[in-house]
Amino acid sequence: MIELKDVCFSYSDMIALDHINLSIKTGEAIALMGANGCGKSTLLKLINGIISPDFGSYGFHGEEVTHKKLQDEKFSKLLHQKIGFVFQNSDTQLFCSSVYDEVAFGPRQMGVGESEVEHRVNDCLALLGIQEFRNRIPYHLSGGEKRKVAIACVLSLNPEVLVLDEPMNGLDPKTQRWLVDFLKKLNKAGKTLITSTHNLELVHEISNRAVLFGESHTIVADMLTEELLKDVELLKRVNLVDTCYPYKVQPYI
Amino acid sequence: MDHTEIKVDDMPEWLLENENYISSAEKDTFVNKSILSVFKVLSRIKKQDSPGETGSQMNVPLQVFGTLVLILLVSLTRSFVFVIIVNVWLLAVLSMTDTTRMVVILKLSMSITFFTAIVMLPAFVLGNIYSSIMITTKVFATITAMGLLSHSTKWSALTQALKRFHVPDIFIFILDITIKYIYMLGEFSLNMFYALKLRSVGKNCSKYSSLAGIAGTVFLQSKEMAEDMYHAMECRGFTGEYHLNDKSKFKWRDYLYIGIIAVFFTLFIYFGRV
Repeated sequence: MIELKDVCFSYSDMIALDHINLSIKTGEAIALMGANGCGKSTLLKLINGIISPDFGSYGFHGEEVTHKKLQDEKFSKLLHQKIGFVFQNSDTQLFCSSVYDEVAFGPRQMGVGESEVEHRVNDCLALLGIQEFRNRIPYHLSGGEKRKVAIACVLSLNPEVLVLDEPMNGLDPKTQRWLVDFLKKLNKAGKTLITSTHNLELVHEISNRAVLFGESHTIVADMLTEELLKDVELLKRVNLVDTCYPYKVQPYI
Repeated sequence: MDHTEIKVDDMPEWLLENENYISSAEKDTFVNKSILSVFKVLSRIKKQDSPGETGSQMNVPLQVFGTLVLILLVSLTRSFVFVIIVNVWLLAVLSMTDTTRMVVILKLSMSITFFTAIVMLPAFVLGNIYSSIMITTKVFATITAMGLLSHSTKWSALTQALKRFHVPDIFIFILDITIKYIYMLGEFSLNMFYALKLRSVGKNCSKYSSLAGIAGTVFLQSKEMAEDMYHAMECRGFTGEYHLNDKSKFKWRDYLYIGIIAVFFTLFIYFGRV
């Protein structure tokens, strides 16, 4: 489904992705892991067609996604419908005057009738348990509620791939647990999940395959999540954990 | 990930099927242009702070002082020759900077000079040829001098230089914070534009209300950030005083610069008398 071959990308003179090779199949649940600034978010932007590779190729469903093709509105809009992106900061994703309008934003553009739009919005709101917020202003919701609205906005487009940038950040344990179960459910329903995360406690629950980035902006490991979590030396080498890992809960003295 | 106990019965049917969507070719020119322009501003600010960018190799307060003196002399002089000499000097300095920076400064200087020339056109036609050319060349010199200063000096160093000139602390703080927040809010709005682009998968009939939504959210975000910063300042015992932590010393370049400014001052008096 997604095929990255020898992809390089840099911001001015700063390398963000260095010869990345990655293949993702339909229905997979992948976690992108690595220390801060190793290139995870850049890779997510590239997969979503916000940026295009400086070198190498990015293919989606066998078709190469190039800078030129992304200039073609028809192509880029279709790509954006097929790949949904949940931003790390939900505030950046919400710009409509009510939660209802926010979730209806995508389907309205897809040319489906208003009754179908309403049907989809109601389904999404119910699925995420945010029906009571339908007339609220998104900006005034709490962090967890905003994250749910942001996910509902993306889901209403019915994308094939769901890309999530640090989805657990800033959420309380209960909402984190809810989100884990919800992502599992989406994956079971056939959605491909690509999640960037630092959360070592929950990563094995939202992915079965983990891609580990090194500080050199390259992929240093691509293996089963369970196996990666056991490889403490590797996690230490990429600066993702310190010598205290695996962390144990100790009482404060 | 274990799927054994997960049920998808409560998932709506449309979400379980693949979407047969045919996208439209409606252009998002405004969004694309906004992304590009915000991105350009952010990269310029970021470039100033990148590790490779050492900023000015000269004493910044001296450079600010020299630029202000030069602008003052250019404004006060009645000698066209003096203005030309200053312009030649500025262009010589400009030619020593890197190409990208040179193009940016020249573009700005040329465009402002061009508009000044248009404004001066009636005076030119009515016979005030000397004054029109004089003002236009003075504008070119002033903008180029300011361009050279702003592009060769880090903003943090500029604000510190202002402290040396006993500019009120509140003014320096406002300037410092404005620059910081231009970057932070710029990054925030860039992400909002990205989100709008990613979610604009078809024909958007209310394009402008989406843009208004972005503007509104950025405004609310800035208000929230300002309140947070105010509280943080209070918690950290902020007294309104701006402390200077500049330990730079004069180098041979700085003495050379003082010499050049002295030469310009002499030329100003000499051509004033001729």
